[in-house]
Amino acid sequence: MGLFSAKTVKKEDYYTASQMQLVWARFKKKRSAMVAAGFLVFFILCGVFAAFIGPYEPTAAGRNADYTNGAPQVPQFCDDNGCSLVPFIHKVERYRGMDTNFRWVTRQTDERNYMTFLPKVEPYRMLGIPMEHRLFGVEEGFIHLFGTDAAGKDIFSRTLHAIGISLAVGTIGVLISFVLALIIGGVAGYFGGWVDTVLQALMDTVKTTPTIPLFMALAAFIPDEWSAEMRFAFISMILGFLGWGTLARRIRTHVLAERTADYVLAAKLSSAGPAHIIGRHLLPSFTSYIIVDLVISFPYMVLAETSLSFIGLGLKDPVNSLGVLLQNVTKVDVLLNYHWYFIPVPIFVAIVLAFVFVGDGLRDAADPYSERH
Amino acid sequence: MAAFLKFVGIRLSAAVVTMLLVSLIVFTLMELVPGNCAERYIAYKTTQGQMITEADVLAEEIRMGLDRPYLERWAKWVTNAILHFDLGESCLWRVDVTQLIGDKVAISLGLSFAALILTYIIAVPVGILSASLRDSWFDSSLRVVSYLGLALPNFLLALGVMLVATIYFGDTMTGLFSEQYRDAPWSLAKFGDMMSRAWLPIVILGWSATAIQLQTIRALMSDEQGKLYVTAARARGISGSALLLRYPARHALGPVINSIGFDLNRIFNDLPIVAAVLALTDAGALLLDALARSNDQQLAGAIILIMTATIVSLNFITDIILAIIDPRVRRGFF
Repeated sequence: MGLFSAKTVKKEDYYTASQMQLVWARFKKKRSAMVAAGFLVFFILCGVFAAFIGPYEPTAAGRNADYTNGAPQVPQFCDDNGCSLVPFIHKVERYRGMDTNFRWVTRQTDERNYMTFLPKVEPYRMLGIPMEHRLFGVEEGFIHLFGTDAAGKDIFSRTLHAIGISLAVGTIGVLISFVLALIIGGVAGYFGGWVDTVLQALMDTVKTTPTIPLFMALAAFIPDEWSAEMRFAFISMILGFLGWGTLARRIRTHVLAERTADYVLAAKLSSAGPAHIIGRHLLPSFTSYIIVDLVISFPYMVLAETSLSFIGLGLKDPVNSLGVLLQNVTKVDVLLNYHWYFIPVPIFVAIVLAFVFVGDGLRDAADPYSERH
Repeated sequence: MAAFLKFVGIRLSAAVVTMLLVSLIVFTLMELVPGNCAERYIAYKTTQGQMITEADVLAEEIRMGLDRPYLERWAKWVTNAILHFDLGESCLWRVDVTQLIGDKVAISLGLSFAALILTYIIAVPVGILSASLRDSWFDSSLRVVSYLGLALPNFLLALGVMLVATIYFGDTMTGLFSEQYRDAPWSLAKFGDMMSRAWLPIVILGWSATAIQLQTIRALMSDEQGKLYVTAARARGISGSALLLRYPARHALGPVINSIGFDLNRIFNDLPIVAAVLALTDAGALLLDALARSNDQQLAGAIILIMTATIVSLNFITDIILAIIDPRVRRGFF
């Protein structure tokens, strides 16, 4: 108890609260889940508004030919010449001389390059809305917070776009597997008998097949001439088609347990059809569980997409995703010299962790018996 | 005994049905892929400068039996696989698949099983320990590890290890064989060389499974420890590890054994990608090659079938073990 303390909320509120309100009240009490939820919202916003936050286009169009494989430029407030209120980076110059063995190198100068906020840039579109400003920029030259890759593309902008794409792939994949799981699990649980046996065998089969190798086999046959968008749609679709097994089983168990309840009988006597009963009466009785399962399965979708893109079978340039960003990092050259290629990794680990914590928190919150502890 | 045999029989037939379903699904998927084996082979021939006509494609299709109905070909594929261990011919290389992948699959399975064994050798004792030291610093640091096991997939860990290894040791720690043994025939020395390098992929393959299994075992043990029979045993004066191992650990064993097959599945999922990162050209990368670059549906289907068959057999074995050690399971099923 003690969920709704007597001081702030009256007892009646507890009994008249909707299921969602109860879940939310329990969820709020769990600090790790709340912190994770905060991070998650932040990352989702980063992904959605990637085009505005990132100073450059993530594609070849935004490449900086003067600064390929460039090191990250970290904004600072102070240097040897004192401090300033506006953050700045140091300018770089191309230099060649006796000390560099007459090879061109890029090196930092002492000159300051102040950051500007909401600078006007070339028109671009974000989510279909034409825009003319980005969040930040510099007075002259360029700023690459996370450095640049071999083509000179800004890793910071690419990372932001990658977050958006990965979340989108995950969302579509989860939605597809959700719909499949609803139909298959719902039918298996509601009808029982041989329908259930057959569908269960199917679920077991899908569960025992190693999905990534199967997925690789399928993705390998994507024709090369497919556009990035078609690949994107196809990859999210396969992810969804391979990921429904576990969720379907859970839904089946719920439906199986509930289908003999009185309210189902009442609905049947009122001559409601199976689809109506499953959709309107049975499923709403465990919506919260379904939402929890969706959140929990989300990071697996994202990780599966990452692995596939990483080995070159998933998404490809110019679409960005973490896997695409990591495609070339196993080269010794990169491992030794360009460590900033790895900056997206901890960010993605953080996103997955945030999902895991939020999922855990939601699961505890959705379980009406968790309060007894 | 008769009841036990009946149980084995039921589980066995369930395993066979699952395998048949898997083979049907895999076969169908390989069938849905655009272009068939004959077209692929002919296309390959064309790149070699031969002129190919429509009639050639048809002739090749008939030679391969691709003109037969779909279900008939599936039945043939399955019966050949079961009766003769013959998985057909590779689309591109025109070699028997079994021959082509034989010892490479053996290495892949060896790595996977080593990772699986490592998982349980670590997870079971540490999980039990963690549950008995609940809420200590040891326990909480293990929780962080398990969360990382979810969030830091094996191939990212492999990347991290490579990064550190190149910076500090100047060696990428990749590959399964050193230069001198790469193409040598199998010998004891080659095996030793492999083992001296294989530990890293094994550890990395086992990482996620270990981290997650740790948490499962800890949760199971914590649940059991609060139960009355444990209190009763304690009241009888049993304490320490004797209490832990004789009562709650035995109860927690069931679900753990049940999850072995699932963990093998997890490891198989990671194998091709970890193999790609660590450049294990001899084992997992063949799977990757077959699945990805060569567009060889015959080979890809065979590999997935072998993997699934391994998981299904392992599930069958664990079911039987479970029935032997746990009378409740037997009673539930008979």
